[in-house]
Amino acid sequence: MNTTSRRALLIAAAVGAALLRGGEAMAAVATGAQAPAFSAPDADGRARALEEFRGRLVVLEWTNHGCPYVRKHYDSRNMQTLQQEATSDGAVWLQIISSAPGEQGYLDADGARARVATDAAHPTATLLDPSGVIGRAYGALTTPHMFIISPEGAILYQGAIDDRPSARPASLEGANNYVRAALADIAAGRSVRTAQTTPYGCNVKYV
Amino acid sequence: MLRFLISVWIALAALTLPAAAQPARTDNVEAELHAARASAAPGETFTIVLRQSIREHWHTYWRNPGDSGEPTELTWTVPDGARVGEIQWPTPEAIPFAMLVNYGYEGEVLFPIEVTAPASARPGETLTFIADAYWLVCSDICIPEEAQLRLAIPVAAQGSDDPRWAARIADAVAQLPKREPGVEARIGADGVLSVALPNMGEARNPRFFPFSRDVVRAGEAQRPRSGANGVSFTLTPGVADNLGRAALEGVVAYETRANGRWVQRGVEIAAEPGEPIAGTTDQPATISDSYPLAELEREAGGVSAPAMQSMTPAAVLLALGLAFLGGLILNVMPCVLPVLSVKALAFAGGVRAGEARRHGLLYCAGVMATFLALAVLLIVLREAGEAVGWGFQLQAPWVTSALALLFFVIGLNLIGAFSVGGSLQNAGGALTSRNGDAGAFFTGALAVVAATPCTAPFMAGAIGAALTQSSGVTVAIFAALALGFALPLTLLHFAPGLQRAIPKPGPWMERVRNVLAFPMFGAAIWLAWVLTEQAGPMGTLALLSVAAALGFAVFVARWGRAWMIAGAAVLALTAAFSWRPLVGAERQAVLVSQAWSAARVAALREEGRAVFVNFTAAWCVTCKVNEATSLATPQVAEAFADANVAYLVGDWTNRDEAIAAALAEHGRAGVPLYVYYPPEGNAVVLPQILSRELVIETVMGERE
Repeated sequence: MNTTSRRALLIAAAVGAALLRGGEAMAAVATGAQAPAFSAPDADGRARALEEFRGRLVVLEWTNHGCPYVRKHYDSRNMQTLQQEATSDGAVWLQIISSAPGEQGYLDADGARARVATDAAHPTATLLDPSGVIGRAYGALTTPHMFIISPEGAILYQGAIDDRPSARPASLEGANNYVRAALADIAAGRSVRTAQTTPYGCNVKYV
Repeated sequence: MLRFLISVWIALAALTLPAAAQPARTDNVEAELHAARASAAPGETFTIVLRQSIREHWHTYWRNPGDSGEPTELTWTVPDGARVGEIQWPTPEAIPFAMLVNYGYEGEVLFPIEVTAPASARPGETLTFIADAYWLVCSDICIPEEAQLRLAIPVAAQGSDDPRWAARIADAVAQLPKREPGVEARIGADGVLSVALPNMGEARNPRFFPFSRDVVRAGEAQRPRSGANGVSFTLTPGVADNLGRAALEGVVAYETRANGRWVQRGVEIAAEPGEPIAGTTDQPATISDSYPLAELEREAGGVSAPAMQSMTPAAVLLALGLAFLGGLILNVMPCVLPVLSVKALAFAGGVRAGEARRHGLLYCAGVMATFLALAVLLIVLREAGEAVGWGFQLQAPWVTSALALLFFVIGLNLIGAFSVGGSLQNAGGALTSRNGDAGAFFTGALAVVAATPCTAPFMAGAIGAALTQSSGVTVAIFAALALGFALPLTLLHFAPGLQRAIPKPGPWMERVRNVLAFPMFGAAIWLAWVLTEQAGPMGTLALLSVAAALGFAVFVARWGRAWMIAGAAVLALTAAFSWRPLVGAERQAVLVSQAWSAARVAALREEGRAVFVNFTAAWCVTCKVNEATSLATPQVAEAFADANVAYLVGDWTNRDEAIAAALAEHGRAGVPLYVYYPPEGNAVVLPQILSRELVIETVMGERE
């Protein structure tokens, strides 16, 4: 009976774990669907919500400064250039850090501010998501993983930053940057031709 | 001094050996090129390998890295006229991380590559192949690493094998996933990939690895199922979202037993769009605890037992009450009554009151022990991931055969073909018809075994509930069932008044005894018929042959020792020739229910048709009675035609996980189960005892 009850406990635990996992399971958002609402502190300690950017184009960039794929795009200034282009055209650019404390890429507010300065990055804000709530809501798999949200709050693009799934800097040459292409389509009033791609990069270091 | 000389010599030797390649060491990988040939002839094609020895808990990637990562790349510089082929990728492993799954390699891995020496090469010359290698190596973080690898091969008129590497490389090539004859695959628009793997054998942990990253989401469960003809998977479409509309290429990996060990296998497939291949979706595939994706697959369901739902205390009490009632009713079921009658007859023989009470308690203990043993067995099997249900004992041909023979021998005994002398040849009959303590105990046990096919109306619900509950509740429900079952005969032992009502002994007893032999034969005939369904005509022939030999053996035993030996010899000889079909060794391909499938029900309902499902089994007496009296009547047929009701039959004579799952879905663990799906609205479960009127009302009533 002792082993029986232990088994029952184990089963209960497994069921509990399954429920928990079910609750937090990837809610891969469909392209064209409403983007999940979120609210998180930024590197300046302010609470930022998606709602506050209603009426503006929003770009989400999942990042992890230690990831070689992210490094490829920052050390080559590829990412910063894109950030500058997008924000000068009036878009909102949000970096999101979903690395858990103790994992690669985790930064507190001070660390995130210092990182933006070091990389000379141009995000509108850097959101801290150490619990991974935003990441899981969007189904962010990798760093980088990019999303574009319309002024009305619909997902216009999600996936890789470009078509070169490699960490080698040389791979940037001649790459087709999906985010730049999507932003151009949107600016021209066209529908986004490549609206969804398979993201590449490092795993998001979730809790 | 000597040591110094040796080290100088070693250093010099190292300098003068051009063929010796140096392993490149990065922080996380040791890499080296090796050739199967110590020397190559001009124009010869041979195999070299890239060996990666990866740091523990780190991995490199397959050609499709899965959710993240990237494959190893080699950029070659080779002598003029030499050719180097692509990396040939060994079967990958699934490596989960949080909610992602990567495809790659851990430990040491050999990547074969075909190279061809220049036809213009001259013997004595050395060919140097240089690879600029780049790989991404990851644990929870990823590091891109680079190394330059060199391989020097001398050219000779006649090439020769390198004894250190030829065999290992040949083995690595043999292990590569390849297209195999007879391996067909289909991919449906619903994401079901089915693969005919005729020679798969005992296998576990199957998974499909697509060549392209965009076609299938890597991090999702694949709910693998298997059958006699192969395996199937339910895939989640990736960004390309073209499952079922384009060919799908990749590798099916699984573990199989070889020399008592589980080894990884891979087969390359190219699936064409189409319906699943028959015999690949019968039951959930085995998933072992050691499998890295075990948790992912088990949480996705369809792999282990039906999901548990906890019962409220009131529901548990109700289930216990129903189980007790079900147990009582079992006493009058046709397959139990003959056994009990024999026992009841013993009272007429005049047993002293004290002894009768002891026998009553022992009978009760026998019933209890057997039921609890069944409960424990059910729990163990359920934990083992088997979708079992009440009556599963009769799904094994050897149990059916053994029971048929047991009933036959008891019948012979009752009819007086042989007398019980405590001889070993008829232990079963002796155990039940003997009046001793053991006899009382084993009557209880046998009665339970005999009762299993007659799933009485109240029992199914209770056991269905028990099977989906915790082990403690399961045991309690079985105990309640046992109590109900044992009570009537136990009371008879204790109530002297009832015993006095039993007539005085006399010659009539022998006659009743002889007459009771015929229900026993009837039970044996019925079991033989069940065996026909399970093991085919050969099984029945085998059973009847063994029965004849057994009859001969017990009949002649009374004539003395020599005859007894002769009888035993005949029995042994017959059994030796015919045992195979009886233990299921030559059981025919499982009869997949052609009529019923969950998909068929869904498809018919999609069309807006009403559906009536009859879950039945050859060994289910209630089912057969219902079919004869209610379903197989012209009136019902007419009603079904008028109301445009589709009639599907799920045959549970043989074990079938899909049907077991469907039963569990309705809270049942046994047949009969009748489910009516009206054109609109929810499914209705009909009572286990049908009437013609009830069926017609159910079907016609829905039209208004």
